[in-house]
Amino acid sequence: MSAFSLCVVRKTIRASCVQLANTGLSVIRGVNLSCQQSTRVCSSRAHHSKVPQVPTWEPVSEDQLPTPAQVSGDLVDKLERLALVDFRTKQGLACLEKAVRFADQLHVVDTSGVEPMDSVLEDSVLHLRNDTVMEGDCAEELLRLSKNTVEEYFVAPPGNIPLPQAEERTKMLKHSEF
Amino acid sequence: MAASTVAASELIKSMNKQMSTLYPIASCVIRRISTTSARRHSQSPLTAQSDSQQLVGVVGLEIHAQINSNTKLFSGSPVRFSAPPNSLVSFFDASLPGTLPVLNRRCVEAAVMTGLALNCTINQKSLFDRKHYFYADLPAGYQITQQRRPVAVDGTLTYSLLGGKQRNQVVKKNVHIKQIQLEQDSGKSLHDDARSHTLIDLNRAGVGLMELVMEPDMSCGEEAAAAVRELQLILQALGTCQGNMSEGQMRVDANVSVRKPGEPLGVRTEVKNINSVRYLARAIDYEIQRQIDVLQRGGKVQNETRAFDSKSGETIPMRDKEGLQDYRFMPEPNLPPLIVYEDNASLPAGTDACQAVVVQEIRDRLPELPGVKRDRLVQTHGILPEHSFTLVNEDGLVEYFEAVLKATRKEPRKVIGWVTKELLGRLRERDMSVGQSPVAPLALAELLELQETGRISSSVAKQVFQEMWRSPGKTAPQIIQEQDLGLVSDMAQLHDICQKVVDAHPDEVDAVRNGNKKVLNKLMGLVQRETKGRADPVVVREILQEKTS
Amino acid sequence: MLNLTIKRLSQAFREGRLSPTEVCRSCLNRIKKTQHLNAYISVTEELALKQAQEAETRLSQGAPKGPLDGIPFAVKDNFCTKNIRTTCASRMLKDYIPPYSATVVQKLLDQGAVLMGKTNMDEFAMGSGSTDGFYGPVRNPWSYTAPYREQSSAAPDSDWVISGGSSGGSAAAVASLTSYLALGSDTGGSTRNPGALCGLVALKPTYGLLSRHGLIPLVNSMDVPGILTRSVSDTAIVLGILQDLDVQDSTTIPAPASLADLPVDFNVKNLCVGIPKEYHAPGLSEEVLAQWSHVADMFERSGARVEQVSLPHTQYSIVCYHVLCCAEVASNMARFDGLEYGHRSEVDSSTEAMYGSTRHEGFNDVVRGRILSGNYFLLKQNYHHYFVKAQKVRRLIANDFKVVFDSGVDVLLTPTTLTDASPYSDFTQEDNRTRSAQEDVFTQPVNVAGLPAVSMPTALSRQGLPIGLQLIGPALQDRKLLSVAQWIEQRVGFPSISDYVEFSESRTRREQISTVW
Repeated sequence: MSAFSLCVVRKTIRASCVQLANTGLSVIRGVNLSCQQSTRVCSSRAHHSKVPQVPTWEPVSEDQLPTPAQVSGDLVDKLERLALVDFRTKQGLACLEKAVRFADQLHVVDTSGVEPMDSVLEDSVLHLRNDTVMEGDCAEELLRLSKNTVEEYFVAPPGNIPLPQAEERTKMLKHSEF
Repeated sequence: MAASTVAASELIKSMNKQMSTLYPIASCVIRRISTTSARRHSQSPLTAQSDSQQLVGVVGLEIHAQINSNTKLFSGSPVRFSAPPNSLVSFFDASLPGTLPVLNRRCVEAAVMTGLALNCTINQKSLFDRKHYFYADLPAGYQITQQRRPVAVDGTLTYSLLGGKQRNQVVKKNVHIKQIQLEQDSGKSLHDDARSHTLIDLNRAGVGLMELVMEPDMSCGEEAAAAVRELQLILQALGTCQGNMSEGQMRVDANVSVRKPGEPLGVRTEVKNINSVRYLARAIDYEIQRQIDVLQRGGKVQNETRAFDSKSGETIPMRDKEGLQDYRFMPEPNLPPLIVYEDNASLPAGTDACQAVVVQEIRDRLPELPGVKRDRLVQTHGILPEHSFTLVNEDGLVEYFEAVLKATRKEPRKVIGWVTKELLGRLRERDMSVGQSPVAPLALAELLELQETGRISSSVAKQVFQEMWRSPGKTAPQIIQEQDLGLVSDMAQLHDICQKVVDAHPDEVDAVRNGNKKVLNKLMGLVQRETKGRADPVVVREILQEKTS
Repeated sequence: MLNLTIKRLSQAFREGRLSPTEVCRSCLNRIKKTQHLNAYISVTEELALKQAQEAETRLSQGAPKGPLDGIPFAVKDNFCTKNIRTTCASRMLKDYIPPYSATVVQKLLDQGAVLMGKTNMDEFAMGSGSTDGFYGPVRNPWSYTAPYREQSSAAPDSDWVISGGSSGGSAAAVASLTSYLALGSDTGGSTRNPGALCGLVALKPTYGLLSRHGLIPLVNSMDVPGILTRSVSDTAIVLGILQDLDVQDSTTIPAPASLADLPVDFNVKNLCVGIPKEYHAPGLSEEVLAQWSHVADMFERSGARVEQVSLPHTQYSIVCYHVLCCAEVASNMARFDGLEYGHRSEVDSSTEAMYGSTRHEGFNDVVRGRILSGNYFLLKQNYHHYFVKAQKVRRLIANDFKVVFDSGVDVLLTPTTLTDASPYSDFTQEDNRTRSAQEDVFTQPVNVAGLPAVSMPTALSRQGLPIGLQLIGPALQDRKLLSVAQWIEQRVGFPSISDYVEFSESRTRREQISTVW
């Protein structure tokens, strides 16, 4: 269950929990509805007025979000090729869709007139280094880290051969399962 | 039809010959490359008649120039052309996890200097980005470049061509420089097909590059080649890039399309794998023609990348990944904005001098650029613009020329021919550089002095030069003495020889006496033969005239 | 001796009451006894003893290098340590031995600190429970103390609680008294979260104050090395040693001057404490809420000005963080292809095939999922819609803090986590991304804005598990933040774990073996 729908669930629970607050029941976490510590009574601490006693979040409802993006199987395939990461397609699609849906909440925020922020150091100045040789000459050390080297070269399989089709890849990756 | 084709090819031949003398490196153009139809011959190259309109070529260039610096762009490992594999690689270059980029000030200065030389606007603030793609010679899986805001934008490169009817008029053209950006070079892959694997050498990975984008303001291979040649000269004068294309210090990709003038741009192809300025011209011209052919057949030009094959002179499609490619540009989070300052006054208080790149300081340090040099040579020495063009175009030739001038009284206008024809012609023939010339400037000067002072005649001088060329180390005086080429100075001897000839040819003498002056030349020729060309023709003529009067 | 603070221990060394080698051996024994916690991936026994011996020699000559000489420390396994295996708890780097050390690690070693080992974590720091690593989950040492054990009827091995993440191993190492300080990393709360759940002082310094050179990155624009100790003054000592410009890291900033000890008697009468109302998020436990209120109350009763403030975009910070995090992850993970280092697949039909299977074999589902999402957000057609949008929201979040601090608030007081530590069996009911979205809710806005924050343990919950509260300060005000934290520390009296019977000495062999996952 994604976090935002969790907000919705919590809102409903919250209402009932307010009534139960004085008995010191913990707020429910996740979908597990059994309350813990039901027998312990919360000592009546004076709840400080500056600390809000109830959650203040506004749950985001589905209709506030833009229409869900269609992530086609082709797009997942393209992503897998660009990222060279395989995710066994069906699971990949579901996982991606959830992530995207979560990200869609961004569009509830009004950002008109706001400049994007690359980094918190956007106002600092890039340090410049002198043009003096300080590194290099460590071929042996580097090659030692690699599993496949020939003389002083790193070795790669022949390049520029396109990845096989998705079905082929799945077969190939089955051999990679541990 | 046949006659005009022959005439056309004669014209082509002579134009090529002229151009290869005057325009050696970018010897361009007008090749007939596998044209299918005889109806296609051109008055101007690389256009084709289609209905009443002509398709013309449109050429833009992307140039990657390796920055001439001691260390790489983001790491302190050395930059060198050849070294044992992977010996010039730091932890950062090998993309070891946890390593971070640190920018080399020299590279920034080089980019700013180049930008200023090309009349660009220098961006006070520029940014770095990551460009993602997988390749064995790109260890991090991304290249650090400047996609959003490069260090310099919006400049102009002025270049020259030899145009006009006799190809001896200097024509100036401009091409717009869209931007100059700093980015990393990749490593090198050596494909070993026999063992079915690729060897990776990361020595070049991370070397600083300036990518220069030239707008599609050019229309054929010759223009592109001239523009690139001019850029090479500028970069070499600045010292920011050594510009050697065969060593990969400068790489040029061409964007080529065709269209009818006035119409929007056509679909373009990118041509890669061009290793010299000469190949650049050929590749572009081939591609323009190929596209024209495609369109005239009713086909469509594909937006694709093509590789130039120097053996066949053709461009061949490379595996097309355009549809699948998306570089997913992202700001480089490890590099805050790069700031350059306009002048010392705008430096924030307390800024360390070695932390600041100041544009004005760089502007003040700019050396003499080729264009300025050419004008200066014309002004100073009174030589023609096209000669100046040739001088500056050839590495080391200006220095050679000026060294000769220093050591002889002969006028520059008379020396120039020796340098641009006699010397350069021979160098060209043997594909040699000025530095490899067997005749040193002082030796040539010595020869010219001998001619200037009347010791030898002009034709003998040429002979002697040839001999000096063949036997390096032999000086002009030596050769003249050995072969007895000096002008005969003994008047008595000359008189004798003339008398001998006159006596031996009484019919010719009569003819001269009867008014046929032309026969005198024959007599002169005979005297010259006797003297083995060492007689001063002016004096011989006088003597003969006297004797035949 | 194991529960001493660094300050006390260093004093004991200098006074000759304790020796580095005996302390080192004690810690090593403790590590062996607490193996079931799975806090360490690599234990550097030989090296530690050697370093301890060297420290001892220096001390005997009256020439200690400083306050950390001879002090055992642990390092999260995503910091490079020269010639010592560094795995990021991933199969991808399981045999990777870096040829250099991270700047912050080297600084500690240069001070004579003694390296105990590399600690366990979530794979590549992705997670908030230290449950998703190649070497298995980390157990919270408080799972084995009497208060917790009394609550629970089940066998110790089935309801142990998580240590939090992703620096869970570092937190567990310090909390279980096997070392006196540990380095963690903090991208969205990865040091503060386990710090809170394990009852430690956990500092996330201002972005740029500590060098990231050698820290294998998760999100370059938000990562910082984090400091875990058992007392605020210890944290201050370590911060003083580690903060500095590093020419090898272009994102470091000059450290503010002042290396003086923290004021023992901090005066809160001039302090304004802000309580951001948005930090009562859904799911906040009643106990944590009570602690939050209690401490706020404590400030007010002592004369500080306590005000409720607003950071209006808080709710969306987690979404912004999610997008930017995935995008940077997608980029940072691109270098793992098996060619130059790390795991390499046997597949060799082509470079792309080899890369693809290496990454499939080397990364777990969580990492691969984030790489895919990140690449999605960076696609040309999505870039403005998601990535740039998230960057804009980032500015709004950073601005929220700026406005509040500019208005006269000195520090913000908030919870660190929603609840105390959850049982592992509960925690793993939801997937990693969902859990991270929940658990990081109070901590990641601080990373988005690049500010300093510290988590303080304030009390044990009814279950006997630590509860922590967070203080957030303006950029570069790390020392002031610690001063305020120390003030709290002096008044809440959080117990030491050694007050309780920690580990039954008669643990059965079976129980010990069952810790293997």
